Amino acid sequence: MKKIVIPGELVSGERKRLGSNVFVVDGKIYSKVLGISEDEGEKAAVVPLEGKYFPQMEDVVIGVVTRVIFAGYNININSFVDSFIPRSVMREDLKKGDLISGKVNYVNELREAEIGFPRKMFGGEVIEVTPVRTPRLIGKNGSMLELLKAGTKCDIVIGKNGRVWARNGNTELLRKVVEFVNANSYKSNLTSSVEAFFKAEGIDVSVPAKEVPFANAKFEESEVISEESEVLPENDSDGQN
Amino acid sequence: MDRIRITKVNEMVEERIPDYKKDKKRVDGRKMDELRPLSIKVGVLPNADGSAYLEWGQNKVYAAVYGPREALPKHTQDPYKAVVKVTYRMATFSVPERKQPRPNRRDMEISKVLGEALEQVIFAEQFPNTEISVFVEVIDSNAGSRVACLTAASCALADAGIPMKDLVAATGVGKAFGELVVDLDKNEEDAPDAVDVPFGIMPNSGNIVLLQMDGLLTKEEWAKLVPLGMKACQDIYKVQKEALKEKFILSEVSEKSVEAAVEDKAPVADKPKKEAKEAKAKKVKK
Repeated sequence: MKKIVIPGELVSGERKRLGSNVFVVDGKIYSKVLGISEDEGEKAAVVPLEGKYFPQMEDVVIGVVTRVIFAGYNININSFVDSFIPRSVMREDLKKGDLISGKVNYVNELREAEIGFPRKMFGGEVIEVTPVRTPRLIGKNGSMLELLKAGTKCDIVIGKNGRVWARNGNTELLRKVVEFVNANSYKSNLTSSVEAFFKAEGIDVSVPAKEVPFANAKFEESEVISEESEVLPENDSDGQN
Repeated sequence: MDRIRITKVNEMVEERIPDYKKDKKRVDGRKMDELRPLSIKVGVLPNADGSAYLEWGQNKVYAAVYGPREALPKHTQDPYKAVVKVTYRMATFSVPERKQPRPNRRDMEISKVLGEALEQVIFAEQFPNTEISVFVEVIDSNAGSRVACLTAASCALADAGIPMKDLVAATGVGKAFGELVVDLDKNEEDAPDAVDVPFGIMPNSGNIVLLQMDGLLTKEEWAKLVPLGMKACQDIYKVQKEALKEKFILSEVSEKSVEAAVEDKAPVADKPKKEAKEAKAKKVKK
């Protein structure tokens, strides 16, 4: 069962694999943050409800140029340390206030992020959301993102650092929907209620067939991956035999 | 004539000083181990990363948390952990006689003590070279403002999503008018035999993070006082827990909140069906 936990509250008394935002004292697992925990399954983890962005490898981020120097650009990615992009990497010249998108290549021990494949973003607007809630804007296998694109006809890029970039289409409606998802991120049946939202606005969004199983979407995508990883070694041993 | 006057004065003095051992009740009618009414609200300041508002008897306190953010000036940075900076301030109108707004010795001491208490619970080593700033502002006060601030600040930290080992629950304990009491008010703090002990713990582990003492106690009194404080802090912890969970009630998104969002109105709070029914039943009873 899902439940809300506060810092220091017991998540599980049993031995389990440790997920994010938990710590162990005397063999018992406690939560580090205010978030949602699930005690079923063999993994103990807490999905945070509030908090700042902490860069992690492979995250897509949207950055703002804060300072231009001879060697390159300082980029604010909503983390507590600015990132740096050398001038040689960029094809275009950047000005202060320009937007870029990129992928976090590497995070060092001081939580400084190295951004790879930076690209300048032309036009569009940015909607800011709580960074820890962006997974719900993407949905399982990108179901919510597809729905948003279908409903508003926008080009959308969702940065894990709590920035949603949108261009063309009905950006005003998108802002409303994103704020709605941000406010209700901890509740269930979010995808179907966003569909209801679009219906109330008079927009018909045809539901792709693969979306139905994810109506009661879980927060953790990593569970799916873990199942695969358990299966893989068996296959290998079969092959050897 | 003179003699009569003196006896009258003595009588008056005797009447004014209460004796808790005889009365079995405190000046404001509380029991010896009873707290003043306490309420906390979380997420009240939209500009801060996390915030809390606390009312505890006459005490009214705002706490705001910013960060983790880059620690400035740079020489305060620690490459191994985050620095917790607490700023305790009293509003000029928070005490009967106007308080000088300039931070005085007491403000600085309390800021330091609260910072050291909060440092114990934060996983500071996760955020090198940063600072976590906590601002606590006392709007109205009547003894025990530092423990009120500590209680509010720990809620604000949790609201900001900062990783912590535990919350901090704090209360004043001590002695007044010949009896050990919990949560002293201003009358009791000014009693001739008053001993004031601000007492803060991590409720789950029972570790003490704040302990100061103004006055003298015997060993026996001390042995009785610590369990009193522990019990009171557990009660405070319950209020903190409720305040933090109140904001997020797990449920499905209701049709009403969808409608409200479409019409661009303020978000509607969704309540689980059981609670809604109970609330209705309560209203009917009233």
